[in-house]
Amino acid sequence: MANVFPKWANLAPVKVLIGLTLILGTVVAGVTYYATPKYLRVGYQPVQPVAFDHSLHVTQLGMDCRYCHTFVDRSEHSNVPAASVCMNCHNQVLANDAKLAPIRDSYNSGEPVPWVKIHNTPDYVYFNHSAHVNRGVSCVHCHGQINEMETVYHAKPLSMAMCLECHRNPENFIRPLDKVYDLTWKPESKQAQLEMGETFVHDWDVNPPQSCSGCHR
Amino acid sequence: MKRKFHHPEPTERELSGPRYWRSPDELANAPEFKETLEREFPEGASEASEQDRRQFLKLMGASAAFAGIGLTGCRMPRRYVLPYSQQPERIIPGVPIYYATSFPGAYGSTPIIVETHDARPTKIEGNPSYLAYGGTTDGFAQASILDLYDPDRLQVSVKKGGAPASDAEVATALANLSKKFSGNKGSGLALLLQPSTSPTRARLLADLKKSMPEMVVAEYEPVAYSNPVKALTAISGSTHRPLYHTKNAKRVLTLDSDFLSSGPDQLRNSRGFGKARAVKDAHEASKMNRLYSVESTMSLTGAMADHRLRASTSQMPAVAALLGAAIIEQAHGDAALAAALKELGKGAQVDQKWIDECAADLASHKGESLVVAGEHLPVGVHMLVYAVNAALGAEGHTVEYKQLPENTAVELPALVEKLNTGEVDTLVVIGGNPAYDAPADLKFAEAAAKAKTVVYHSYYDDETAELADLTVAASHYLETWGDGRAFCGAYMPVQPMILPLFKTQSELEVLSALGGKPLGEDGAYELVRATYTEFTGKKDDISFNEWLTIGVDEPDSYKAGMPTPKMASFGIPQKLDKAEFKAPALSENSLEFRILPSTHAYDGRYNNNGWLMECPDPMTKITWDNVVSVSPKMAKVLDITPKPIRMDEMGQLHMNDNTFKLGREIAHMAKLSLPDGTTIEGPLHIQPGLADYTVVLTLGFGRRKTGRVGTAIHYPKEGKGIGFDVYPFVKSSSPSVATGGTITVLDETFQVANTQEHWSMEGRAIIREANNTEYESNPEFVKAMGMEAHSPPVLGTARKEPLSEVSTDIPRGGSLYDTPAFTDRQQWGMNIDLNTCTACNACVLACQSENNIPVIGKDQVLRGREMHWIRLDRYYSAGPDSSTTEIPEDPQVSFMSMACQHCELAPCEQVCPVNATVHDDQGLNVMAYNRCVGTRYCANNCPYKVRRFNFFDYNKRERGEFYKGPLGTNYDKTEASQLTRMQKNPDVTVRMRGVMEKCTYCVQRIEEAKINQLVKAKNTNNVEVPDGTIKTACQQVCPTDAITFGDITDTTTEVYQAKESDRNYSVLGYLNIRPRTTYLAKLRNPNPKMPDYTAQPLTRAEYEAKSGHAAGHGEGHGDNGHGEPHASTESHGAPTHAEATPEHH
Repeated sequence: MANVFPKWANLAPVKVLIGLTLILGTVVAGVTYYATPKYLRVGYQPVQPVAFDHSLHVTQLGMDCRYCHTFVDRSEHSNVPAASVCMNCHNQVLANDAKLAPIRDSYNSGEPVPWVKIHNTPDYVYFNHSAHVNRGVSCVHCHGQINEMETVYHAKPLSMAMCLECHRNPENFIRPLDKVYDLTWKPESKQAQLEMGETFVHDWDVNPPQSCSGCHR
Repeated sequence: MKRKFHHPEPTERELSGPRYWRSPDELANAPEFKETLEREFPEGASEASEQDRRQFLKLMGASAAFAGIGLTGCRMPRRYVLPYSQQPERIIPGVPIYYATSFPGAYGSTPIIVETHDARPTKIEGNPSYLAYGGTTDGFAQASILDLYDPDRLQVSVKKGGAPASDAEVATALANLSKKFSGNKGSGLALLLQPSTSPTRARLLADLKKSMPEMVVAEYEPVAYSNPVKALTAISGSTHRPLYHTKNAKRVLTLDSDFLSSGPDQLRNSRGFGKARAVKDAHEASKMNRLYSVESTMSLTGAMADHRLRASTSQMPAVAALLGAAIIEQAHGDAALAAALKELGKGAQVDQKWIDECAADLASHKGESLVVAGEHLPVGVHMLVYAVNAALGAEGHTVEYKQLPENTAVELPALVEKLNTGEVDTLVVIGGNPAYDAPADLKFAEAAAKAKTVVYHSYYDDETAELADLTVAASHYLETWGDGRAFCGAYMPVQPMILPLFKTQSELEVLSALGGKPLGEDGAYELVRATYTEFTGKKDDISFNEWLTIGVDEPDSYKAGMPTPKMASFGIPQKLDKAEFKAPALSENSLEFRILPSTHAYDGRYNNNGWLMECPDPMTKITWDNVVSVSPKMAKVLDITPKPIRMDEMGQLHMNDNTFKLGREIAHMAKLSLPDGTTIEGPLHIQPGLADYTVVLTLGFGRRKTGRVGTAIHYPKEGKGIGFDVYPFVKSSSPSVATGGTITVLDETFQVANTQEHWSMEGRAIIREANNTEYESNPEFVKAMGMEAHSPPVLGTARKEPLSEVSTDIPRGGSLYDTPAFTDRQQWGMNIDLNTCTACNACVLACQSENNIPVIGKDQVLRGREMHWIRLDRYYSAGPDSSTTEIPEDPQVSFMSMACQHCELAPCEQVCPVNATVHDDQGLNVMAYNRCVGTRYCANNCPYKVRRFNFFDYNKRERGEFYKGPLGTNYDKTEASQLTRMQKNPDVTVRMRGVMEKCTYCVQRIEEAKINQLVKAKNTNNVEVPDGTIKTACQQVCPTDAITFGDITDTTTEVYQAKESDRNYSVLGYLNIRPRTTYLAKLRNPNPKMPDYTAQPLTRAEYEAKSGHAAGHGEGHGDNGHGEPHASTESHGAPTHAEATPEHH
């Protein structure tokens, strides 16, 4: 009986296997590289003990960031407000609302409200808020449109590449000091931002560190 | 800044977190606890406020609790932000708060400023408001913060046998004592305290004495500062002590005194000395002060001396008398007194020419010279020193006599006598540790056992606690209210930075309770407030708070001026005890044991402080141990001198034992005996510079009962305190010197962790020195030294450019390596003035405290793995003609503080395979710990050997368990770590195993200053940090301001000025690596008339001999430095090296 399968068929399964592996590997690598988020924390939106609504407080009521995050321009940390800060208003407004019970409990018991931390830099990163907000870097650059969020989520990657993007070209991001806490403010155009940014970088002598010691100690 | 607060009930979460800081009582919710809650934290805590210790621990507790949830599985850990419930005033999370307080000492407090992060103290700095110390501290003050977080401290009061005593029990016991003895006028009650400067304590004692007039009050301090006071009291009839103004002194003579680095007022002394020694340029060289030192030991003061004479301590009174006679004679003082002194000094065996020339020099600087005698010398010596200083016209210029408040406390021997006769029913010991550190002949422990009840107030569970029926746990000074006075008498507060971490009480609280008035939750606040009012007459809050803020009230110092006795020769000849001046002849069979406090444990009180124990002694470089220091001459007698090779009876060759083997000092053990039969065993160490038959022993070791650090886990004789106890040789009649001793070498050897095995600079130009006369005539001498003077110029054509430009642009020396761009507007650099550095070790400890440097234990130090970022190198030099195989008997000593030099062309960076160590744009050589993979290539390529490698997880593993790795205890999870981690500086990474670390120029301080400047600048370009804003930790603490730091592109900065000095040089500059840390050459100011005068410092003479300059020179050099005509032939001529010191015995 003649050979049903030609000789090359002996190697065919191996070739098919290798081919499939390569294709599969390429697909996996491609998806991993191109289709997954650069930074896994982006989109992190945990449930908070109290469903604090930034859009309500900031956009509707017009509160300034610094009413609650009082020390953002004075400290490396942007502090989360103490229960006593919430109670300044909420001892009158919604004074008995069930949703605010954790705040009242904290205020009365002395126990902190366990807010879930969303934006987190690693321990070896010494990020300083005051150095940024006092020099024309707005909250929105790192935290996204917090003013429009009903529930806060991790909007930007906060990766080292993101830091360097701005540290290398601050003129693309820097804005007038009175617009730092105005999260809705936008430059008229890219060109306008660039022109303004370049003026600020020159006039304020902006020279953000790009070497290790700027952030790692 | 009055701090009132109330303690909230512990919350559920708090109770569910780690319980370490809470008592077992509370865990059980015992009813007594609730009753005593008010008493539990009696002190006003750090203003800080409500965010206090508890808040901090609350956070810690919570995060620990949540860590468990988050880590169970591969999920991202959930982290929490726990804000305050009520926002406290003044606290800004992330911004440290600084409080002024003072570090109490027996004879004078040191004013300090404490950095607190989230209300936990992390770093101690001196308080610059007190000008005499200029914001500096000594090493002990730096390290005292570690004691606060010592897990081995007494956390709860204990009864005999170790059972814990509740607060209620302690309160009842003290109340009962108070009741019992106020009834019978205090008869049968004895108090033993440590000397203190606190006016509040004095007031409490006086009140106590009123209600209990028959009570005995005694004070004891093992290293006493009493003889100078006794002498002045004998002369003037009222209590005085001398205060030295070394900054005015052009000529100083010390008699067995280490006034620059030990003693209660060393900061003022060394600071003033540094000022008088500092030389700005060649024109000032002749204004430099001159120090003569006669001593038996090899002290740091002796190392600074321009002329040093070795004489044993027992000879010292006679030498002092001779010197005194000569000085008084030459200064045309009281001839009768001079004659009397001459008679007394007859027994002294010293070179008369040395005495005469030294005396002549001092006498020719009337009003500008000063004589200082060691505190341990007999009263008679201090009397004659008073007379000598009077003859020199020193009073009001270089010395001041301050009147001390009356102190009626008796001394320890009187108390022991009362104990022995059974007069004492109850003995209350407050502080100290007399069962360990009382003179051996008093047999304190036996005497104390005769008292029916012993109550002890202590920070540790120590030897004395074994005797006590009740040991009351003591608070740390950073936890309590109190006050104190500086050595000069300036009044300063002791403020709490934090609530007491444990159920402890302060000295003032115990005394107040004894007086029947137990203090409430504010502790001694009201008492201090009342004392303040009494002192200053000011009642208002504003002045009190201002005092707390500034931390010192200088006008309220002790009264200056002492009535001069009208009698002839001040009546001194009649008052002198001639027996004190007998100079016994010493020999190898009749040695003198000189007993000193240790630079590690002091008198034993810092025995459990890892920083101090591991910090190398500045002279011996020994860590973790005390040794029996013998002179090279005595070493020969004992036959322990290192020889390269020795042959045994079988004819086989061996390396000698008493030498370094693989970097470990192998020391012979020896038995020391005194004529009265007491013996001590300890390892022998050969110390150049000692008087021939003086043996130096240091106190504070060999504790029978102490914490885990003092009882090192890895120590060969487990369970025993490290080192050996010298107190058996301490006698009440003569606590600091014992004579008639003998040494027998034993057959054992012992490994000593010595961090520097080589003592010679081998004629290299590492430390560059010259006499000031040479500097005057040849200001460029530094440039003519070192290989770079003989090689093509380091900077090429750029060498003529100013430093400010060289440090940024430049042809970078023509390097093939891609050099970093120094583009930042400020470029940092450091300068260290070797001329004023006294090697006091404060910088090493300040650096350790600031930069979270771990303690690694003796075992690791023996392997050469010490972690200190600053290494204080000590070199001996004996001149080019000395034998190369012998240990010099009387060397010159030179010190150099060595840390990362931040080379602009750093060799370490070129070999790092992962770019973990790179340059930043402001000129710092930075370490990115996260990138480091631990190849250690950088350390190998570092010419200065300043990089330190974390061989183990020194922070995560228990000492002694390093080798178990992950199988050992995880220190992070132990209760002890909860305490020790509180000290860590949050601005500095705590490094892990396998990464390299080194000096960062305190980059966290630089960045903090820069950011603060940016915050100020806002939308302006005022972004440059002004000079002086950034002080590195070592610079800040330096008592002599030897270290300067700042921007080297700005010609106005202090560091720029220093670097512009003609004495400025780079160590190993010829390598063309261009270090940012440079040094100013050391100058010596010898007197040409002295018999031990050398035309060049010995290191210099060695250098000149080695580099062949002595044999003619001048050809083939680069033009850098040598281009100048030789202004002085002296610098290149053969050194006229006179043999240094005459034989003494």
